[in-house]
Order: sequence, then C-alpha cells, then structure tokens
Amino acid sequence: MNNKLPGRGPLSRRSFLAGAGGAAALVTAAGCGDSTPMTALPTNPGTTAITDADILNFALNLEYLEAEFYLRAVTGSGLSDADAGSGAGAVTGGTQVVFKTPAIQQYAQEIANDELAHVRFLRKALGSSAVSRPAIDLSNSFNAAAMAAGIGAAFNPFADENSFIVGAFTFEDVGVTAYHGAAGLLSSKTYLAAAAGILATEAYHAGEIRTLITELGAPYLTYANQISALRAAAGGGAETMLSGYTIVAADSNSISYDRTTDQVLHIVYLSAASGVVSKGGFFPNGLNGTIKATAS
Amino acid sequence: MEHIKETELQLQDDKRTRRSALLLGGAALAGLALGQKAFAQTGPTDNDILNFALNLEFLEAQFYTLATTGMTIDQVGLSTKSGGGTAGGAVTVKANPKVTFTTPLLQQLAAEITQDEQNHVKFLQAALGANAIAQPKIDLMNSFNALASAAGLGSTFDPFASETNFLLGAFIFEDVGVTAYQGAAGLITSKTYLDKAVGIHNVEAYHAAAIRTRIFQAGSAAQSASQAIARTRATLDGTGNDDIGVGVTNGAATIVDNDANGMTYARTTTQVLSIVYGGGAAGTGGAFFPSGMNGTIK
Repeated sequence: MNNKLPGRGPLSRRSFLAGAGGAAALVTAAGCGDSTPMTALPTNPGTTAITDADILNFALNLEYLEAEFYLRAVTGSGLSDADAGSGAGAVTGGTQVVFKTPAIQQYAQEIANDELAHVRFLRKALGSSAVSRPAIDLSNSFNAAAMAAGIGAAFNPFADENSFIVGAFTFEDVGVTAYHGAAGLLSSKTYLAAAAGILATEAYHAGEIRTLITELGAPYLTYANQISALRAAAGGGAETMLSGYTIVAADSNSISYDRTTDQVLHIVYLSAASGVVSKGGFFPNGLNGTIKATAS
Repeated sequence: MEHIKETELQLQDDKRTRRSALLLGGAALAGLALGQKAFAQTGPTDNDILNFALNLEFLEAQFYTLATTGMTIDQVGLSTKSGGGTAGGAVTVKANPKVTFTTPLLQQLAAEITQDEQNHVKFLQAALGANAIAQPKIDLMNSFNALASAAGLGSTFDPFASETNFLLGAFIFEDVGVTAYQGAAGLITSKTYLDKAVGIHNVEAYHAAAIRTRIFQAGSAAQSASQAIARTRATLDGTGNDDIGVGVTNGAATIVDNDANGMTYARTTTQVLSIVYGGGAAGTGGAFFPSGMNGTIK
C-alpha cells in the first residue's frame, strides 16, 4: 500500500550518525517512499554532557522565535519585557497581518497563545537558569530563506494571511523534529512528560498548517515544498514532501522524524556550512545558552 | 479554500483557564516509576506497553481501513494473529462500511491515515515479534451507538454514513491516541522504544490536527458534536474536564486539544481503558473492545 502514497519518505541532504564523531553521510534528495530515513538518537559528540536545563533552554530559544513570529502576526507586538527576560535581544521585523478570513485569524490566535504559553512554561520550569530572548530577525531571515529556497529575492510572511501560513510552515515541522530529538536526551521523567506535551502540541500545529497549505494549493504548496527542501539541505534530517496524501511528516513506518540539535541549529541559522556555525538566519547573534554552536 | 465563517461558540470549558493535567500526569508517572523500583515485578514491561498500544492501533487501523476500502485489515493483507499464531478476534461493523467521499482532499487524508495506522500495527507487531498479542474482538457499530447516546447525540451514530460522520468517528480516536502515547512514553524504559513511541505520538497528533481542522471547517453542528464527544471522554476518564472539542474560545480556535500551558494531556492506561470500554470495567471490556483488550494491561 505504501506505493500508493506519492511523496511519503525522507528528503535529506545529510544525516548525522550517532557515535561516529559527527561523520556525515550524504543522502541524495529523493521522493522515494520506501527508503529508510537515516535518523538516529541525537548526540553531541565531543562535548561535555549536556544537562536537562541546557536542553530546555535550547527549546526556549525556539519558542521565543515562534512566539515572536505568531504574536507579531496576530497583535502587531511581541513578547512583553517580563516574558523576554532581562537584557533580551532585539527583534527585527514582524508586523500585524491583515487577516481577511476569520478562521485563519482564529487559527493564528490559538497558535500564538500556545507559543506564549510554552515560553512562560519553560521560563518557569527553568527559573533563574532561564536564558533571555536572543536577538531575532523576522525580516532578512525570510528573505534569505526565500532566496536560498528558490522562491524569490524576498518573502514577507506578514504581507497577507496566505503568506503567513507559509511562514508558519517554516517553523512547525522543525519544532516537532527538534523536540522529538531532544526527548531522548532528557534524564528527568517530569521534563520528558513536559517535552512530550509540548511536542504533541507542535505536531498539532504542524498538521493544521500542512492541511491548510494543501487547501491553498499553488503557489503556496510549491513554496512550502521549496522551504521543506531547504530545511533538508541546510540542516539535514528528513522531510516529507507535502501533498494531499502526505499531511504527516513521517518515515515509511509512519513514525515522525527527529533532528539533532546540530541539525536544528543549521536550519535556524540558515547555514549548511560544515564545522562550527554559531549565528545567522533567524538568530543573528546566535542562541542563548550552552547549545548554540554546531559541532559539525 | 473551504473556510466557513464561524460564529463564536460559547464553550462550557475554556482551555486557557483550566488546570494542567501535565502536573497530575507527571506525578502519576513519578509514582509509577517509584513503584517499579520497589516492586520490579509488578510494573508494566516495555512489551506490555507496546501491546497496549497495539490494541489501540488495531482499533484505529480497522476503522480507517473499513472506511476507505470497505474491508478489514486482514482482508487487505495484514495479520491479526498473535506472534504465537493465535487467531485474531472478529470485527463487528455494518454492511458496506466504505464511506462515500465527495471531497478529494479529505479522501486523500483518509487514505493517508489508513496507511499510517496499518504501518503502526505492522511496526508494533515486528517490534514485539513472538510476544505480539492477537487482535481482540472489535466493535465498530454498537460502540458508536452507545457513545452517541452518552454524548447526547442521539440513539444511533453511523461514522461511515457521510464525510462529516467519518470525521467525528475519527475524532473519537485520534486525541485519545495522542493522550495514550503521551502517558505511555514515560513508562517505557528502552530509549529506542521511547524514541519510536514519541514518533508515533507525533503522527497521531498530526492526524488529530488534520481531522480537527476539517471539523472546524465543517461548521458549527460538527463543532458542537465534537465538543459533546470531548465532554463524554472527559467524563469517562474521570477527570471531568481534560478534553476540548473543536470550536472558538476568546477569538482563538481550539484545534489543539491541550491545557493552559500549551501542553497536550496525558492519560494513564486506566483512563484510556475507561474511554475505549465506554466505562466498562477493567478486565471485562465494552464498547470498542466488547471482550476487553488482549495483553496484560486490559
């Protein structure tokens, strides 16, 4: 039955092999549904052991990014000073979207509420260990991503409600794979339960956004798949080309993908460069916390 | 675009103001972990948990396969036998259950979910090998009628009668799958199985979101029905409120079934059993599993 579903399968440039000193294997991009994605439990080779707080702070950086994107799209303003932490970095770009369809505004409001709740939950869980919001770029980043993805010289996800949905697509599947990868690294059962609760919410968001894009059709569906290909190229990790038959991003066993922190960093820094990359893209000064530079 | 202008619905329960089930779930998990340490023999093994999941995947796979093909999963080539060769239980369903889809994208979604649930059955069977349970008896007819009665949706409900009914039938399962895997994840000791369980958990959440988005778009009647079902699930699991239907609250959609911390709910295996048994006693079964589940957690 698998062959009846076009497009389900991995789409990846490279995959990091756990325990092999960060050796990367090239995997050609292909839409073939039967190959097994080369995902592995995440490791950070060559670094000292990371703590649960390190991982939660890594997640908090991603939640800051998502919260700023959605809050600005819905309300025109981002996180409050209290929610961003002391000495928070500046946010570039991000304006209120003029929603013409009430339902899309309601979807956006819900996701904005969820991402704000995630920021607050993680900050509370981390207490004094919580990192503040790093500098975030929601303007040049999308333009650079659009250029790299072949969409065009510029892309403004705040220009209209359909562009907003494509902008949301940029983040959501990445969040799912990031939390999936991180879940295996957490040692505390309590934090694992929390991470599982957040990641399933991200998966709901992703499933919703992917559904909406298939309903929009061209050119937005094309843009989404160009972004998907860019994520695979920049960061590695598998992607599932979006179509009416492939709302879910998962492998041939119908199990969602995961990404290492390195892979996630390459994506949000919009850099496929090998070696140490510590800033760029959506985080012009890098993430805050201990997990902020790629190992390879 | 198929968006329908929605009138704001007054929900009895607002997810933004409700307590977090996570804290309870965390406490329950901590308790179980402690229990396992003190009484190593009494805690569920990874195989017990995977078999518990396999029961639920059998149910989902049968529902979607029947809805999209009119056939049971064994008729399309899957095994319902146990790893030791015991035959699977019968499936009770109306004649000609294949749904007449009129929306191509929805038909494609149904086909995709069917494939996913079949893959989950096959994956778990392969992982469990000789320890895999056989399919228990499954009821997809009287169960829906009983649930509809309990939810105040009428004395009968046929999830195969229309696209919208199919969505509501799917809705009944998907969020429960999410909460079940979330609860189970904390019980699994193997890192490899934990990774796979989290991966299946995510896929169930993608499904749930796709189904709930479609229910949102189907309009206020479908939304109201989903809210009644969610309330019934919350009654059956004993929490009274840890479940949210599809609608609009304070200007925000409720596509995601989660709490005020933006986290999906976790259910214990006992809570999941109570829902799929329709309130039937543990070990006895009822509703979707008229003779109970197979395995040690039942």
